[in-house]
Amino acid sequence: MRTSATNFPDTAADAIPASEPVATRFSGFDPNATDVLISLISVLSLIGAWYLGSWALSEKVLPAPHVVAEVLYEAMVKGAIWKDIGITLGRIVIAFSIAMSISAALGFTIGLVPAAAVFFRVWIVCFITIPALVIMLTCYMVVGLNDKAAILGAAIPIIPILTINIRDGVKGIDPKLLGMAKAFRASRAQQVFEVVAPQVAPILVASTRFGLGLIWKMVLFAELLGRGDGIGYQIEFYYQMFNMKEVLAHALSFLFVMLFIELVILGTLEKWIFRWRAQ
Amino acid sequence: MPQIDLKRIRKEFGGKRGTRRWTAINGVDLSVEVGEIVGILGPSGCGKSTLLNIVAGLESDYDGEFTIQGKAFGQQIASGFRVAYVFQEARLLPWKTVRGNIEFALKAAQFPANEWRDRVDRVLELVELTRFAGFYPQQLSGGMQQRASIARAFAIEPDILLMDEPFSALDEMTAQHLRQSLLKIWSAFRTTILFVSHNAMEASFLADRVMVMSQGPGATIREEVSMAGVTRPRSYDDNSLIEKSKAVVNALRRHSGRSEVALV
Repeated sequence: MRTSATNFPDTAADAIPASEPVATRFSGFDPNATDVLISLISVLSLIGAWYLGSWALSEKVLPAPHVVAEVLYEAMVKGAIWKDIGITLGRIVIAFSIAMSISAALGFTIGLVPAAAVFFRVWIVCFITIPALVIMLTCYMVVGLNDKAAILGAAIPIIPILTINIRDGVKGIDPKLLGMAKAFRASRAQQVFEVVAPQVAPILVASTRFGLGLIWKMVLFAELLGRGDGIGYQIEFYYQMFNMKEVLAHALSFLFVMLFIELVILGTLEKWIFRWRAQ
Repeated sequence: MPQIDLKRIRKEFGGKRGTRRWTAINGVDLSVEVGEIVGILGPSGCGKSTLLNIVAGLESDYDGEFTIQGKAFGQQIASGFRVAYVFQEARLLPWKTVRGNIEFALKAAQFPANEWRDRVDRVLELVELTRFAGFYPQQLSGGMQQRASIARAFAIEPDILLMDEPFSALDEMTAQHLRQSLLKIWSAFRTTILFVSHNAMEASFLADRVMVMSQGPGATIREEVSMAGVTRPRSYDDNSLIEKSKAVVNALRRHSGRSEVALV
């Protein structure tokens, strides 16, 4: 019984995007030719600025990029740096897992339960105000000069920030879609997996990206303050010897590690979650 | 026995965490027969949507009696009774294609998966979206999205179809097409339809009876306008329809406490 009398504008021209724009809070890593070119120019200009800086200052203060790259290459060939990268990465993974689990639990609770939002408001303000340095030193004093303290000291400062980040994401979940699912009598499992999860996943990816960016700086800082190994310790060690080549080489090594995580791992994950948006 | 039966329905909102309690609707009596189309018309904020949500089972905290074919709502759901809802906005899941969205409703209504493809194809043909089955909602215009949402509602062959101002977000031309299309589909399924509108012409065009509500708080149904004289299939130019919709507007004026109510 085709409704032939009513002729809808059934052409492709009618398939214009709807007036309501889909949220574009999270941009995926989706290279096209122009983007690649712009990124290339961006990287080159960054290296250029570095050269300019090392030329203006003395080589001892800011060594040129190729000098640092050479030092990094040697360190990688000799293999000593890999151990420190591994140690730091391990601390990052553990500290991040702790921070993320607590922040996710808190963020969702605060986002969904008004009373919890009121209760935790003061806590968050307090912990966000305390400098990371104080938290780390306190951890070393209370727990002792060990890995546990370093990991806690790195995790605690980012928990309030991540919690706020996740709470904002949770607030953005569309209750209308859940209402639709309930009106159509979708089972609890269908509601969770097909309506809630697709909205929660982008929040978690976004806060993972945000949290990793924060935590690796915290871990380096904690290593510098109270550990005898890891990239943060090596940077501190070479800084004491005024060896800026090694300081920058170690920093650079981790920059590559984080870039890899950011672009390849998170980028791929994001692309998979947003595969429907690429259409 | 009426399909939907509401007696002395009263619904209050607020009262939590220091907010003011207020009565949205008070003393609503309404019964809808099987295969009937009933429109609820009233000023904005009179609790029309609340009434639909009660019938949909989305609101459970209310006073009064609500039965479907003489049974409490929960018992009916257990025996495979189906309700579909067309919202003001399409409310399609943006991460699913048009087909995926309709399959979502079929799955929720527990249709076996091997029937999904045929059922989706059939309803998409009814709303003329066959070629767009694989499209994501954001690739479609507002009108096409709403057609997809109508397709989703009819796909599960509901016993009751609820619609909350389903065409109000669309331009008038698109809305007219969709209303006509809806009536065509209805004439095939004879689904019981209860809908809400703020548009007197729309309510008159679709309904067998239009129930006019008063201004809230404590809104209730004040007047019933029967569309008995208007034959189906209906046309917007039908004089008897225009006369009836004028009667609806007058009723709306009388009960909304305002005089500036227009025909559409």
